[in-house]
Amino acid sequence: MSARTGQLRGSCLRRHVRSSLRSLSSPQQQRRLLNHFISKAPTSHPDEASPTTTENNGDNGAPSPRRFTLAVKDNIATTQSSLPTTCASPFLSTYHSPFEATIVTQLRARGAALVGKTNLDEFGMGSHSTHSAFGAVSQCPDNDSTPTTGQLSAGGSSGGSAVAVATGEADVALGTDTGGSVRLPAAYTGVVGFKPSYGMLSRHGVVPYANSLDTVGLLARSVGALRELVVDSGLWAEHDPKDPTSLSAAARRRCASGKQSYSYYYKQQNKQQEGESSSSSSTPNTLSLKGIKFGIPLEYNIAELDPGIRAAWSAAASHLQHLGARIVPVSLPSTRHALSAYYVIAPAEASSNLAKYDGVRYGLRAADNTTPTTQGENEGGVLYSTTRGLGFGDEVKRRILLGSYTLSSEAMDNYFVQAQKVRRLVRRDFDRVFALDNPLHEGEGAFDLSDLPETVGMENKFGPAEVDFLLCPTAPTVAPRLEDVGGEGKSAVDAYMNDVFTVPASLAGLPAVSVPVRVRGVTAEGTEGVGDMAGLQLIGQYWDDARLLAVAEAVAGSLETVEGR
Amino acid sequence: MTRIPTAELSRYLLTGQLTRRGCLGARRVAFSRFSTTTIAGLSQTQKPQEQQTQRIPSQPPAANTPPVPLRKQLKEQARALKASGKKKTKKTDNQTVPGWELTVGIEIHAQLNTARKLFSPAATSFNGKPNSHVALFDLAIPGSQPLFQPETLIPAVRAALALDCDIQPVSRFDRKHYFHWDQPSGYQITQYYEPFAKNGHITLYPRDGIAAEDGESITVGIQQLQMEQDTAKTTAQPGEVQWLDFNRVGVPLIEIITHPQIHHPATAAALVRKIQMLLNSVDACVSGMESGGLRADVNVSVRRTDGASSGKLGTRAEIKNLSSFKAVEDAIIAERDRQIALLEAGGVVAGETRGWSLGSTETRRLRGKEGEVDYRYMPDPDLGPVVIDDNLVRHLGNSMGTLPDAEVDQLMQQYGLSSKDALSLMLLDNGRRIEYFYDVLDELEQRLGLEKVSETTTVDAVVDQSHARLAANWCLHELGKVVELLDGLHGGRVAEDYSVVPATDLAAILAHLHRREITAKVANNLLWGLSRGEIRSGEVTNEIEEQGLWYKEISEDEYMSLCDDVVEGQDKVLTEFVRFKEGKSKAYPQGKLMFLVGQMLRTGPEENMNPASAERVMRKRIEEVYVPGLQAKE
Repeated sequence: MSARTGQLRGSCLRRHVRSSLRSLSSPQQQRRLLNHFISKAPTSHPDEASPTTTENNGDNGAPSPRRFTLAVKDNIATTQSSLPTTCASPFLSTYHSPFEATIVTQLRARGAALVGKTNLDEFGMGSHSTHSAFGAVSQCPDNDSTPTTGQLSAGGSSGGSAVAVATGEADVALGTDTGGSVRLPAAYTGVVGFKPSYGMLSRHGVVPYANSLDTVGLLARSVGALRELVVDSGLWAEHDPKDPTSLSAAARRRCASGKQSYSYYYKQQNKQQEGESSSSSSTPNTLSLKGIKFGIPLEYNIAELDPGIRAAWSAAASHLQHLGARIVPVSLPSTRHALSAYYVIAPAEASSNLAKYDGVRYGLRAADNTTPTTQGENEGGVLYSTTRGLGFGDEVKRRILLGSYTLSSEAMDNYFVQAQKVRRLVRRDFDRVFALDNPLHEGEGAFDLSDLPETVGMENKFGPAEVDFLLCPTAPTVAPRLEDVGGEGKSAVDAYMNDVFTVPASLAGLPAVSVPVRVRGVTAEGTEGVGDMAGLQLIGQYWDDARLLAVAEAVAGSLETVEGR
Repeated sequence: MTRIPTAELSRYLLTGQLTRRGCLGARRVAFSRFSTTTIAGLSQTQKPQEQQTQRIPSQPPAANTPPVPLRKQLKEQARALKASGKKKTKKTDNQTVPGWELTVGIEIHAQLNTARKLFSPAATSFNGKPNSHVALFDLAIPGSQPLFQPETLIPAVRAALALDCDIQPVSRFDRKHYFHWDQPSGYQITQYYEPFAKNGHITLYPRDGIAAEDGESITVGIQQLQMEQDTAKTTAQPGEVQWLDFNRVGVPLIEIITHPQIHHPATAAALVRKIQMLLNSVDACVSGMESGGLRADVNVSVRRTDGASSGKLGTRAEIKNLSSFKAVEDAIIAERDRQIALLEAGGVVAGETRGWSLGSTETRRLRGKEGEVDYRYMPDPDLGPVVIDDNLVRHLGNSMGTLPDAEVDQLMQQYGLSSKDALSLMLLDNGRRIEYFYDVLDELEQRLGLEKVSETTTVDAVVDQSHARLAANWCLHELGKVVELLDGLHGGRVAEDYSVVPATDLAAILAHLHRREITAKVANNLLWGLSRGEIRSGEVTNEIEEQGLWYKEISEDEYMSLCDDVVEGQDKVLTEFVRFKEGKSKAYPQGKLMFLVGQMLRTGPEENMNPASAERVMRKRIEEVYVPGLQAKE
C-alpha cells in the first residue's frame, strides 16, 4: 500500500508518530493515549502463518492474496477470541459474535491481517467518536497536547478506524458510513474515506444502525489502495446471498454496463480465465481529468463553512479546471432539508434495530431484567427498562427516544413520512444533475423543467448542467477540540451539523469519497477547528464507484502537487 | 360427570400405563382430538359432554399460574355454570338480545404449512428438540439479516384464494414493535401497510352452524390477509421461571382480518370453524385450533337498535387469544352481555383489551387504552417488496382442487349424504378421512361392478347410492371408533394414514355387507380383526370362508320355532294385539312387535338372521296362531 498521502497527515499525528517512535511504542500506551482500539489482535510477525494464506475464500478465482494490515470498526462482527464485537456499547462490552461479517471474510481472502477492533461512537451514533463505553478517541496523545491544540476530535463514528490508518497501524480500515461516519473522520484525520454505493458491499455481520442508510466504508492513506481493493480485486462484483440488500449478480452487471472503469476488472478476469498470470501490480493508466465535468453544488456554500475550507475548495476547483476539467455550478435545492430528514429516518430505524437488546439472549442483563413483575402495567414499569437503562449510553438513548417518537402513531405522518419524501427529493436532485442515469430508477424519465425551483440556473435551453461528479467539502469545519465537542454548552444538534455535507449522498445511496486537503493559514480567529486537515468530497452517480475512485485518485494526486508547490 | 375416554381406559387396563403425570397431558390430548370428531356437531346439537371437551384446549400460557389439575378445572367450571344459573340454557336462546345489536369482527392467526421459516432457512418443526431449529436471525443475533423464503408464499396465496381475496402484485413487510421475551428482535415482522391479499369474502350456510337469525346464508367480508412471524414458545416453570423454545420463532403465520359484519355469536364460531376447514382443504395450514395452530381475537361492540345510535358502531373491546370455537362463541356472549349491562346502567364501554379463560362466564380486563402499546409500525428497511406474479396466482388457483363448500354439495347431491355427515367426513383428521372415504368408495364400486358417478349426475338420476352412504357411515362411525382407540394406544399415528385398516379391505367387508352376504355384526368383527392384525390385509374373504361367517338365513321353520320360544310367557304383550284385532285400540302395536323381534334376534343365531324376515314371520305367527290362541283361551 502506498503511503504517499501519508505526508498529508495532520501535524499532531505526525508528532505523535515521532514521539511514539521515541518512547511510546507499546500498543497499550498508544491505546491509552489515542484510545482508537477497543481490542487488539495478538501481535504477529509478518511471516507468521496467517489465516489469509491458507483460508482462501474459495470463490471465483480470488486474486492472489497480498498481505496488508486491517483494522475493523468494532460494530463489524469478527470471530477471533481476542476480538469481541462490542459496538462500543456497555450492552455488548463482552459480546463475541458467533459468525464473521462477510466483508471481513472477503478482505481476509485478499490478504488482510486483522490488527484489532477500533473504537467508535456507540453503535455508530455520533460525529466525534466520543460516545463510547471505552472512552473518547482522540487524534493527539495526552502528553503531547500543547496549550494551542489540545486533544482533537478524530471525527465519528469511525474515528478509531481513521486514526488506526493515520498512525500507520493499519494499511486499510473498515468503517461504517450511515450519514458520513467514514468520510467525516477521514477528513478530520487527513486520510481517504470511501463510502460505496448502497448495496455494493455486504452488510451481513455489520451491526445495523439504520439499515436503509448503512454502508460498509473503507479508509486508507491513499485512494489507490482502496481502488485496488474495491475495483481491481472484484469486491464490487461479489453478491452476498446472506444480505437481502446486497445487489444480485445480475443487477451488478446491469448497473456496471456502460461504465468503462469497470472494464479493467473485466480484462483481469478474462486474463485469469485464459490462464495468463495477471500482472497485478500494473494499475490502469492514471485517468486524465481532461473533459471531466465537476459540479459545484451552490447550496453547500453555507455561512457556517470554515473560510479556510472554502478557500481550499475553491483552490481545488480552479486547479482542476487548470488541468482540463470543467467546473460548473449546480443546484441541489433539497439539500437544506436533507439533514433534518436524515435525523428523522436514522433514529427511527435505530430505535427499531436496538429493540433486540433486552438481555434475554446475549449481552448485559440487569438483575431484575425478566422477572414477571416488571411486565406491563403491573408495577407501572416497562419490561427490560432496567437492563436497557444500564446498557445504552446517552446519545443512543437520545436517538432511541427520538426514533420512537417519530414512529409513534401521532407523529409518524409529520416526521417519518415527510422525511421519506424529502429523501426521494434529494435523490431526484442528484439524478437531475448527473449526466448518467441512476440505474435503479431508469424508468423515471426526463425531468420537467417546470418542476424545477426558480433558483436552478440553466446551462442551455435543454436545462441545467449535467455533470460527472460533484465536488464539495466533506465537513464544514476542520477537526474541533474534544473539549469543545464534549462540553456542557454544546447541544447534540451542534454535533449533528457536521454531517450536513455527507448526509445527502447517504440518503440517495450514492458513492462518495473524501480525499485529504491541507487547510493553510486562512483559518480565521475564533473558528472552532484547530486541525490543519480537511476533506474534499467527490460524489458520483449510483454504481459509478469505479470511475469515482479513479477520478478521486487523480484529484488527490493533483492536490498533492498543489500542496507541494 | 365426564366420561374417561376409552383410549385412556384401555391404555390403563391393558398396558398398565398412565402416560403422563396425573393423566393430565394425555387427557388433554385425548380430549382435544375427540373434540375434532364433534366439530361437525353443530353447536345447537352438542351434547353436554362434548361441550365440556371443548373447554379444554390449551390456554395461552398464563405467566405465573401453576397448571390447575384438570379435574379441579372441570369442577370449577361446573360450579361456575351452576352459580350463573345458565346451566341448561341452550345457546339458541342466546343469539340475540332484544333492543340491541351485536357487531363482531374477527382476526384469525394460522400457522402456514411450510418447510422453512418466513425469514430464515431454519426448518419449521413442531416436535423437534427445543431450540434445535434456530437460525442466527431467529435469535436476533447482531448483524444477522432476514432472508425471505419465497416458498412460504405458496400456502399463503392458496389461503387467500380460498377466501376469494384479491392477491396484491406488490406487498411489503413492516415491523411491529413491542417488548416480550418471546419476541427476540423486539418487533414482529408483519404486513401492516401493504398486505398481500385484500377484499375477500366467505359465505356461511346453516350447515356451517350459523345462528338461525342469519337465515339461509351470510357473507362476511375479509378485509385483508397478511403474512407475519410467530413468536417463541414460553413454558412456565415453577418459581417464576420461563423456558423459551425458539423453534417456533419466525414460523410463518397468516393473519386473516374480517370486516365487522357478524351479528350473532354462533355465526362467529361458525366462521372460525369454516376458515379452519378452508385452510385445511387447500393445504395452507398445518394444524387446527385444537393443536394450537389457529388462534382468534374478536372485536365486540353493541349498539341500540332503536336508531338512537345514529348508525355508528359502539366502542369495541378486543378479546385476545381464543383457542377454541366454543371459546369464541362464549366469550362473545359474555362480552356482549357485559357491555349491554354496562350501557343500560348508564356506563360507558371502554376501548380495551380483554381476556377470556376457559369455563368462565365473564371476560376480564387485560389492559386499557392508556396501557395500549403504540406498535410504531415501520417498513422493514432490510426487506424488499414481495412481488407476486399473476402466473403464480393462476397456477395455484388451478391446482387448488375443489373447495369445501362445493365438495359438501357434491357429497350431498351425488351420494345423498346428510350435510352433517358430509361435513364431518371433511373435517376429520385434517381432511385425511375424506380421502380415505374416496379410496374405499372407489374400491367398493369396483367390487360391486358399479359405474363411477359422474360429477353432473344427481341422486334422482342415479340408480341407488346406498353403497356410498354405507361407506360414509362406516368411514365415519365404525372406523372412527377404531381410530379413536388405536390412536390412544399408539400415540396418534393411526389417524395419519389409516394403514391398520387398508381401504381395500374395508371395501371388501363393505361389498359383502352391501350384498347382504354377511351381517353388520360380522362386518364389525372383521374390521376389528383387521385393526388388531388378526386378519391380514387381502384375507377378508378367506377369513369369512374359513370361519364360516357367511350369512345363511335360517329357515322359515326355524324362525317359527324361535317365535314360539320368545312368546312363551308373554301373554300380557300379546293381549295388545288381541285388543287391536278386536278394535279396542286404534294403532297396531308396532312397538310390541319389535320388542318380540328383538327377543328373537337375541335368542337366535343373530349373524344368520334377517331382522326383516324375523319381523315378517313374527307378525304372521301373531296373526295366525297366537292371537287366535289367546282369543280361544278367553
